[in-house]
Amino acid sequence: MYLIEKNNVMKLAEELAKSYSLYGPVTDKETKQVFFNKVASASEISLTAEIPSIPPKTVVFPQIERILEYKYDKGSKKVEMNADFDTSSKALFGIRPCDLTGILVLDRFFMGLEFVDDVYLEHRKRMFIVSNTCTVPFKQCFCVCTDSGPVAEEGYDLNLTDLGDVYLVEAGSDKGREFAEKMGLQKAGPEHTLEKKNAVDKSISLFEKLATDNKAWISRVMNRVTTGFIKEEVWEHIGKQCFECGACTFVCPTCSCFNVEDHNKFSGSTDRLRTWDSCSFEGYTKMAGDHNPRHPVEDRRNKRFFCKLSYSQSKKYLRPGCVGCGRCQWVCPGDIGLPNVVTYIRREITE
Amino acid sequence: MSDVQKRVVTIPEIATVVEVKDEIQDVKTFYLKFDNPEVDANFKIKSGQFVMLTVFGYGESAISLPPSPENDRFHLSVRKVGKVTDALHNLVAGDKVGIRGPFGNGFPFEEIKGKNIIYVAGGIGLIPLRSSIVHVLQNRKDFGRIIVLLGARTPDDLMYQNDIEEWLKIEGFECYVTVDQKTEGWKGETGYVNSLIEKANVPVENTVAFVCGPPVMFNSVIGDLMSRGLKDDCIISTLERHMKCGIGKCQHCAIGRTLVCTDGPVYTYKQIKTLGEVI
Ligand code: SF4
Ligand code: SF4
Repeated sequence: MYLIEKNNVMKLAEELAKSYSLYGPVTDKETKQVFFNKVASASEISLTAEIPSIPPKTVVFPQIERILEYKYDKGSKKVEMNADFDTSSKALFGIRPCDLTGILVLDRFFMGLEFVDDVYLEHRKRMFIVSNTCTVPFKQCFCVCTDSGPVAEEGYDLNLTDLGDVYLVEAGSDKGREFAEKMGLQKAGPEHTLEKKNAVDKSISLFEKLATDNKAWISRVMNRVTTGFIKEEVWEHIGKQCFECGACTFVCPTCSCFNVEDHNKFSGSTDRLRTWDSCSFEGYTKMAGDHNPRHPVEDRRNKRFFCKLSYSQSKKYLRPGCVGCGRCQWVCPGDIGLPNVVTYIRREITE
Repeated sequence: MSDVQKRVVTIPEIATVVEVKDEIQDVKTFYLKFDNPEVDANFKIKSGQFVMLTVFGYGESAISLPPSPENDRFHLSVRKVGKVTDALHNLVAGDKVGIRGPFGNGFPFEEIKGKNIIYVAGGIGLIPLRSSIVHVLQNRKDFGRIIVLLGARTPDDLMYQNDIEEWLKIEGFECYVTVDQKTEGWKGETGYVNSLIEKANVPVENTVAFVCGPPVMFNSVIGDLMSRGLKDDCIISTLERHMKCGIGKCQHCAIGRTLVCTDGPVYTYKQIKTLGEVI
């Protein structure tokens, strides 16, 4: 464990920028919205910014990504194929614990199952992650209920915790330790561990006002979703409020459904593009010949919450699919973000 | 993370169309050969699996595999139903396609040894079953009765007629065919494929049935088989879903708690019943 003066903390980012493409939370000057973007200079990054409106999953799973480029010459019958993976080294600086947990969920999903997704793997292979403890929760957060915050437990190379004048710097990997040593950081003592614990405890206590009891019901609700003890009417009620806009799936750090399309270019070659998709779109399961096996909107809504809250999905992720970031609650025009869905189901359980 | 060493699954292997055969209306069979001899030699499949086929310039589509895992030419039989398959139908010998796979769980083979096997297919439902039929016939002595019940709309919609003639030369292979509407010269049965269940006097003890066809046919055949006493876990089918990756990631083929591409496409009727979505 190490310490770094607050006004020096960006030196870490500057150093990382020498060998990595640097990403971090930046506040848009006009809209004041926070994005997790690639930056040209470490000074753009703000460690005190709110959680980004779009999660950093965009770095490992971009909204549009070319995964293959090919050219087929029908005359000569020649195919040229070029796997177009992004192989750059990336450093994520100041990622919040929920979003880091989101990336760990995606890791298990894309790389831990029967098949390894090589496109995703290339993004993750050479990544350096610096997480940032939330000493104060943001308005829609409920990570304490989904076991994904307010402090990162795994998956980081370095973790920063704001202790007032200094940041406590913890190494979570050999890579992180070597980096901290190379930077010549001052060693922290047991009193700093205690200070961190107090800071985290205080943060957790602040959730009480935010994460009202409905959120603490998540494990009960998971049980119900898994065992199917939820009345059709409840799903219908939830489904009726969904506009099928797809926003919830786009802002969710663990939603990873995608579409693949081949786009022909004027040059005669074709790009195979992977793009975000959403299970809430009507065409999602449509098959060739227009047969669509999953019809009503409540079925599609049900699918998303099933994905976040059922044990069968949790087995794939080794944890619940929801990491408690609250983003779907901010963006949903139908007011059926995950916390509200938990409320609806909870009401049904208690009644 | 660096020790993750599994095969690359997002880049297609290039294959050449060596022959195209017209089957029935809108269905053609494409015989393929991988351009890389090493890939060609090592391409091993299980009955019931599928591949992701790229038609260059048009996209990718999941296509079930009709060849037997043993001693069969690599081919795909494809009905024209959308952008990719339309474009495929325009290809001729010498053209190139891309193949990823094979993917999916496949039909059981070892587990069904010693049993009577019934195949019930409606129309192009015979395509995914062909692989298993040939495989089982190649190991004829390991099985009891082998019965194929085949239904089609008209005699012109019967798939793999040449194959069936070949199979009929094998001792103890039973095949019953019916059409919904007969045309001139048709001397066989008319009526739905269900009627053949009675006619063939299909066994139910120590028996496994493979059923594949349009939803209406599927449901009524299963009803009839079960009312004769066949158990739901002895009825096997293969599901088709829209797929974008074939490797369990894109989630387009998710039905309830299962992914057709990696958990399926082969399911017992007992499993299908619990999926809670239309077939
Ligand atoms: S389901 Fe909603 S609250 Fe949970 S991780 Fe996704 S966006 Fe955040
Ligand atoms: S954000 Fe709300 S309205 Fe939009 S798709 Fe998601 S649940 Fe439906």
